[in-house]
Amino acid sequence: MLMDVRFKRDGTALIAYIEGEIDHHTSRILRERIDSKFIVEPVKNLIMDLSRVTFMDSAGIGFILGRMKKVSSIGGEMSIRNPRPEIMKMLKMSHIDSLIKLDT
Amino acid sequence: MQPVNRMKTEFLSKSSNEAFARVVAASFVAQADPSIDILADIRTAVSEAVTNAVIHGYEEKEGIITMECILYQDHVEIIIEDHGKGIEDIEQARMPLFTTRPDLERSGMGFTVMETFMDSLEIESAPGKGTKIRMTKQLVYR
Repeated sequence: MLMDVRFKRDGTALIAYIEGEIDHHTSRILRERIDSKFIVEPVKNLIMDLSRVTFMDSAGIGFILGRMKKVSSIGGEMSIRNPRPEIMKMLKMSHIDSLIKLDT
Repeated sequence: MQPVNRMKTEFLSKSSNEAFARVVAASFVAQADPSIDILADIRTAVSEAVTNAVIHGYEEKEGIITMECILYQDHVEIIIEDHGKGIEDIEQARMPLFTTRPDLERSGMGFTVMETFMDSLEIESAPGKGTKIRMTKQLVYR
């Protein structure tokens, strides 16, 4: 398994603990799993914990922006937690860190 | 300059091969003992090039992608080629945030990532003929 995701609810936020590699292949599966969980939980905010993500290319940027749009459309907020340095490089390059709250 | 080593592999344009290609390229380059950061950059650039071939070149239909890695004393050259649709306007495709597939949540950052993470990037492409990406990366800090 290249990628896995586990969930936890914290008040009005859904925390998605993503593990493994985020690319075009895995982001399609990840998107389905997060979107379907987000819709059934009584939450409006989404936190992505990236501490166990070991690889991410630009497909991950598209995936993060896509989730941000969904969460914003219902008045919620999205944030990213604990990216590793190599993931941080991709986040900074895409300037996504100016759009999304980043907790390091 | 004489190559120190070289390899060539071909695989189907399946999205599951994006991970295969980046792992193979990084394993091959690892014999030159570069830094972890350099290997991470190579992995990312290869992933972008192969993803482009899968999504745009072959439009997620089956085709063959070839990847060649040529290792020199101080740098590596990586060539990724498909025989798919080709790019109509290369300059436009290189623009940050440009994508022909916003429906797929594509960020339009593929070529920008390859340019940023590698030291050089050349794109040869023609509509109906496919696309050849040639990238190089220095393996020692100067």
